[in-house]
Amino acid sequence: MQRSARTTLVAAALTAAFALSGCADTGGGSGGSDDTLDIATLTKPQSLDPKVANGSALPFFQAVYDTLVKREPDGTYSPMLATEWSFDEAGTELTLTLRTGVKFQDGTAFDAEAVKANLERFKKGGGADATDLAAVTSIEVVDAAHVKLVLAQPDPGLLFYLSDSAGLMASPAAFAKEEELKTKPVGTGPYRLDAAKTVVGTKWVYTRSPDYWGEKPPYGTVTMSVFDNETAIVNGLKTDQIDTALLQDVGQQVSMKSDPNVTTTDVNFDFQGILLFDRGGKVTPALGDARVRQALNHAVDRETMLSALRQGRGEVTAQVFGPETAAYDPALDTAYPHDPEKAKALLKEAGYEKGFKLHLPRVTAIVNDALASSLKSDFEKVGVELVWDAPDAAVLQKVFVNKEYSGMVMNMGLDTVDGIVLRTLVLPGTFNMFGTTDDTVQKLVGSIQAKPDAAEADLKALNEHLVEQGWYLPFYRMSYLLVSDKDVKATPQSGMAVPSIYNYSPA
Amino acid sequence: MLTFIARRLAAGVFLLFVISLLAYLLLSIPDLDVARQLLGSGAGQAEVAAKNHELGLDRPVLVQYLDWLAHALRGDFGTSWFSGEDVTQALRNRLPVTASLMVSVTLITAVASFLLGVWAGVRRGAVDRFVQVLGVAGYALPGFLVTLVIVLVFAVQLRWFPAIGYTGLTESASGWLSAVTLPVLSLSIGSIAGVSQQVRGSVIEVLRQDYVRTLRARGLSPARIVFRHVLRNASAPALAVLGMQFVGLLGGAVLVEQIFGLPGIGSMTVSYTTRGDIPVIMALVVFTVIGVVLINLVVDILIGWLNPKARTS
Repeated sequence: MQRSARTTLVAAALTAAFALSGCADTGGGSGGSDDTLDIATLTKPQSLDPKVANGSALPFFQAVYDTLVKREPDGTYSPMLATEWSFDEAGTELTLTLRTGVKFQDGTAFDAEAVKANLERFKKGGGADATDLAAVTSIEVVDAAHVKLVLAQPDPGLLFYLSDSAGLMASPAAFAKEEELKTKPVGTGPYRLDAAKTVVGTKWVYTRSPDYWGEKPPYGTVTMSVFDNETAIVNGLKTDQIDTALLQDVGQQVSMKSDPNVTTTDVNFDFQGILLFDRGGKVTPALGDARVRQALNHAVDRETMLSALRQGRGEVTAQVFGPETAAYDPALDTAYPHDPEKAKALLKEAGYEKGFKLHLPRVTAIVNDALASSLKSDFEKVGVELVWDAPDAAVLQKVFVNKEYSGMVMNMGLDTVDGIVLRTLVLPGTFNMFGTTDDTVQKLVGSIQAKPDAAEADLKALNEHLVEQGWYLPFYRMSYLLVSDKDVKATPQSGMAVPSIYNYSPA
Repeated sequence: MLTFIARRLAAGVFLLFVISLLAYLLLSIPDLDVARQLLGSGAGQAEVAAKNHELGLDRPVLVQYLDWLAHALRGDFGTSWFSGEDVTQALRNRLPVTASLMVSVTLITAVASFLLGVWAGVRRGAVDRFVQVLGVAGYALPGFLVTLVIVLVFAVQLRWFPAIGYTGLTESASGWLSAVTLPVLSLSIGSIAGVSQQVRGSVIEVLRQDYVRTLRARGLSPARIVFRHVLRNASAPALAVLGMQFVGLLGGAVLVEQIFGLPGIGSMTVSYTTRGDIPVIMALVVFTVIGVVLINLVVDILIGWLNPKARTS
């Protein structure tokens, strides 16, 4: 009797404890409040110094720093810190008219001197922004509200860069203490960093800037939480603790797509494929022959890979130009149907009937076991031995500086500006480190650069030539899933995987 | 007792020194190329060299270590190479999260294991078998599976607790309680399984001792025998296991913090180690070793207090 009474007591106490904490939760949940936008992401900014801003971490910076030019969700440019801009006839001078009366969050005035200081700092910083601004030779202050960028040669990507990380404007007064800028950002943006509530590396909290020059931002508070895995993000979305996130993992995408409580939109931003750098055959002589590169393109079974590895979430392709570019041609997506026999015939023609050995570095974050074995077996069927080299920490050095590899499997963002695709993938540079080219490429690039406004036909011809020559071995454009709560409207952003900070509003 | 504590502390300081040196050496072996990671793949050789010089990575490893040690002894752990945050500040934000998890789990494990273990050891029969099955099941189930199921049931389906996130204890006690309940529950199951079996075994063994029979013969109440005499002797091995569990919890914390999105040092350890952010990792190593040394000291003191024989050894 005594024992059962005690058991009841313990049970009652446990129930009470559960009920208490349960109540506390419904009262204190953070995601429910309408004035707060909770964004979850897998990408964290290295720091909040605009010098290191890039790719999917851009929203962390956009909250605090405005860009010179704003890029709308559809990719068109509209005024932000610059209200007007114009190129001269030759396309080598860009004059920007700046918004007046704007102050940085530390009280420093935003003017032409500030623009000059920021752009020069980017150029000296040596990072991605320096590469983006490489064409800019000098920045001239015309007067407080006008600044002129002088270019060595026309750069069709410049406005894009100024609407992206290279356009982020920080207070020049903060440059004296660079270390502080990493954690105490000072911009002109719609939000300010709430340093007290921010846990660097996990959760960044921004609050609406009271004296923002532009339209009042829709949310009083924006939090950006970084997770190492999408399981936690999906759990947060399902329990309303997270308002919006971009899901990359196919399994998680499928689980959220069927959830009636969220809105989902497909985002095709990255393509996956092998960049065959070694078209000159310096490391792997066989790759110097276009027929061998074509054979590899025919050897890969894109459709099966897409359905087996990504549950069909994506679109197969054989071109590196994305649908938003002028060079894009839908017919080229299927230029290389899976055809092992044809691949073998091409190899035979090229004198590689017995096959050859191809070494590729395997970065496990991109090439998982399934992808690795799928490619290996597809190549094996046409007699090519694919050797996956276990990567070490210096893999980037080996690929990009020492030029030890003929190619690499990469996930690359689909650039929306033709000129940027040219610069990053076609012309000699980071992703064409061997600097290979041919007469057709040179001729077409020359005429494209000469008349950038009427280059569509040449761009299409160039794209077709590159596909035909097998410069790359793209597999597919991967679909990501932008998920948002029913009371948040999130719009995908042209040129970025994740939406810009301006693309969220209460639904 | 005081000399015992002093000796233990001295050993702890020595251990801290040795482990920090080893950790620094191990971190320096892989060529993580921090400078290139910081500058991006487009940076030239000269820029990389300049960055290495700025970070002091162009000096011999031992010099780097001594420099680090000199600063650390003054409480200056520097700033993160990647995020620029003050390392001491970062740990001040994150340590309480992991510490509150580990302390809660240890306390709950201690109470639950002693109750279950004594219950099983004294009653035997069906009760004992029940506790044993519970122990084996808790031990055999993979931790991540238990955690995922717990999240699905109690957070996603029933909505009793939040699925992710953390609220500081000083911010809101009820918020903290609801945030840590599921993580603590997830971590407790395995450790209760282990420690309760240890308690059960020790209780059974002690109950067989002659002096217990003598006590019974003298007519002492069963409760008094168990709580005054048996438990005192059975506790020592159980406490030792508990201390080891505490150390092992750090590994479990990494997983649980990732699944629940908690801003603790577990998830921090993983992300900073892969990048080779030496200032952060070294501080984590130091605080982890201090934690382990302190816990072992507490366990030793408790064992010594319970069992005078242990004090001299």
